[in-house]
Amino acid sequence: MSQRVVEPRDAAGVATALQSAAAQNLAVIVRGGGTKSADRSAAVLLSTTRLTEGIDHVAGDLVATVPAGLTLDAVNSVLCRAGQWLPLDPPRSSRATIGGIIATNDSGPRRHRFGTPRDLIIGIEIALVNGRTAKAGGRVVKNVAGYDLSKLLCGSLGSLAVVTSATFKLSPVAAHSQTLVATVSDIRRLGLLARAIAELPVAPTAIELQSPPHRLLIRFETTEQAAARQSELVRAVCIERGAACTIVSGQPEADAWHAHESRVFSGAGTIVKLAVLPTDVAAILDRIATIVTERRLEHAIIGRAALGIVLLRLGGTLEAQAAIITELRREASGRGGSAVLSSAPPELLHNIGRWGPATDAMPLMRAVKQQFDPLNTLNPGVGAWEP
Amino acid sequence: MNHPFLQGLAHIVRPDGLFTDASDLLTYESDALVHLRATPDAVVLPRTAAQVQEIVKLCRREGVPFVARGHGTGLSGGALPVKNGIVIGLSRMNRILEVDIPNLRAVVEPGVTNLEITKHVAPFGCYYAPDPSSQVVCSIGGNIAENSGGAHCLKYGFTVHHVLGVEAVLPDGELVHLGGPVLDTPGLDLLGVLVGSEGTLAIVTKATVRLLRRPEKVSTLLAGFRSIDAAGEAVSAIIANGIVPAAVEMMDRLTIEAAEAAVHPNFPKTDAVLIVELDGPESEVDELFAVVESLCQTCGAITMEVAKDQAQRERIWKGRKAAFAAMGRVSPNYYVQDGVVPRTKLPEVLRRIRELEARSGLRIGNVFHAGDGNLHPLICYDEAVPGQAEHAEHVAGEILTYCIEAGGAITGEHGVGMDKRSYMAQMFGADDLDAMQRVRCAFDPSGSCNPGKVFPTPRLCGEVPGPYRPHPVERAGLAERF
Repeated sequence: MSQRVVEPRDAAGVATALQSAAAQNLAVIVRGGGTKSADRSAAVLLSTTRLTEGIDHVAGDLVATVPAGLTLDAVNSVLCRAGQWLPLDPPRSSRATIGGIIATNDSGPRRHRFGTPRDLIIGIEIALVNGRTAKAGGRVVKNVAGYDLSKLLCGSLGSLAVVTSATFKLSPVAAHSQTLVATVSDIRRLGLLARAIAELPVAPTAIELQSPPHRLLIRFETTEQAAARQSELVRAVCIERGAACTIVSGQPEADAWHAHESRVFSGAGTIVKLAVLPTDVAAILDRIATIVTERRLEHAIIGRAALGIVLLRLGGTLEAQAAIITELRREASGRGGSAVLSSAPPELLHNIGRWGPATDAMPLMRAVKQQFDPLNTLNPGVGAWEP
Repeated sequence: MNHPFLQGLAHIVRPDGLFTDASDLLTYESDALVHLRATPDAVVLPRTAAQVQEIVKLCRREGVPFVARGHGTGLSGGALPVKNGIVIGLSRMNRILEVDIPNLRAVVEPGVTNLEITKHVAPFGCYYAPDPSSQVVCSIGGNIAENSGGAHCLKYGFTVHHVLGVEAVLPDGELVHLGGPVLDTPGLDLLGVLVGSEGTLAIVTKATVRLLRRPEKVSTLLAGFRSIDAAGEAVSAIIANGIVPAAVEMMDRLTIEAAEAAVHPNFPKTDAVLIVELDGPESEVDELFAVVESLCQTCGAITMEVAKDQAQRERIWKGRKAAFAAMGRVSPNYYVQDGVVPRTKLPEVLRRIRELEARSGLRIGNVFHAGDGNLHPLICYDEAVPGQAEHAEHVAGEILTYCIEAGGAITGEHGVGMDKRSYMAQMFGADDLDAMQRVRCAFDPSGSCNPGKVFPTPRLCGEVPGPYRPHPVERAGLAERF
């Protein structure tokens, strides 16, 4: 089947394209920078990369309205001229677009302090399959007028509507940044050390775990003096617990964080996101270590240690991956959490599913999908909530 | 209301949970926006989620609309009863079910008050961050419905950022769990849209909330200025210096006088006061607080008082939080508005409000969250003077128009409810409202859950199969079928 590619330049153009596709009962795949798209095809590929006009930064209000097709790095290069940034650090930010980041509610290590797009978004403009555009929220940080559709759109994987622009609250860029790297000998100790740090009177922007090697990266972004004092406090606790510590700043710090992200996002294989209670991180890491050692699988782990988010990249045969993920899914579900395939070959997705067990909210999710996209035009196949 | 229906309710909640006498219903006629009143046919006070489910299922069978109510402190008529409907009061579901300090979570029923959570976890060095002025009495269920904020939301966000999961009864009586104690529950973020939906989508019967550890240091500054503009410049300078305070509050002369008369916070007798609070690790707070003090001085602060201890800090906040109630000392009646403007537009909008004050002949006090541009103009009037209440309402409406024209919003934290629904069409277009109502139709296709609130005109969600029954919205006299 030949694929038609449309690249609208504005919200109205997106709405028209969607309406036209829906009228012909054609499926539409929405694509931003393509950093997360699996190998899917549909009759229409709608690219948002030309939605780049009209970034509006009001530094005095600490807010900016940004078009969906701009990359995060492009947005932040504009905002930083006034000493501000959109405090999100998802992987591949040089290519990931604002629209894609919203659709996946993607974030990175500094979620520890700043949250996800859902926590920062204050207004949205969307194009719907009925050919209309709509907005919700606004350009002020405090606003409870009407339903907050912007939060509903975060993480909806482009299945309800296409985001054409969004307004976010911003943060000032800190005067200084430094990262304490604490290395321990055993993966099992990472979770416990992270919890000990989370209880200290410090305010890091990230408490990140990685393995192998088994490390915590604790980032401080504040004044130079405050960063130094807080690092010292954390270092003392790390050393007391037998960790080897170094502190990096400037380029070595940037390199350390780049290498950290690459561990999971630059290699081949399947990426699984495990979500558990913070106190269960140690047990989940233990479980992963046991399984991958038994099966001798190539793997890498990073994660938000104090939030209970663990990202695992797995190599090996699909059969081995399926077995491990199924086991981890059971473990995480048993603890009230989840194991979702963030990135996986279609065959694996088909065999074990992206999401894991359905919840009692599924009929309601289907009803919402039905209201926004009754013909299942948008991104068919991505959401378990499809009719 | 038919007898078997009432018997059905009594059977569910036992007779001591059902109220139908006029004297009992009086309490439920309004929320804190007392000039809007309606008498419900009955009030039920369930004790469990299962009872809420049964009540809602019975209402659905009988086509009776219902309104959920927390502690009735809302300021927009969100809990105003509807004609031919019942009120489901959640005040008896008031237990703190679980506290998990290592994971910084608590599970509570909707009738627990906001401050109760903080009191409960204070011995562990923790607190619940959203702090609306009514936090002593307002319920968590109500906070979730309204997405309540408070003085510290500039840094810490709103209820939506602090509720991790809920158990809720849908308008068809089914029980759902949205979000949960663990982050990133798979699927659509229905919790994100449920919070702030003003009781129009579901009835929350349980919530998992996020707790925070008390910051190591809190520093509070009370600065007096010769003018609102000078105080506003100080706020701009603080933000421009890359400092995000935990709170920045401003009061004008009229509200300072009122607060002084009511709770004696010993505020300076100036045209404006600014309360700036920083919190966090001591090393950071000390360094940045010195910057804040110096910026206030540069911008012309004529008095500066730094709270030396908790008692002094509490006195300062008491003055601020009592401002609404204190207006009773200087005016027989007052009307509160809740519009928001982009912070940089504050001087312009405040100037328009002052002009309006002169033109209208009504005194207008201004107390507001200066960090986020959330105004709370207090329009003073005397209901004994014929026509003055209507005049005050009209003046309040004009202020909302200023907020919309400045690119702001009609409500920052009080909600649209019944009070401001007619202004929704000024802020949002028909397509915007239609998109929002799609969510409503997914949750509540029959329109029986708090009908008539938020939206200027209800959207009928398509024909319900089966014999014709009047739509609850029609029954409530809110729309006609044509």
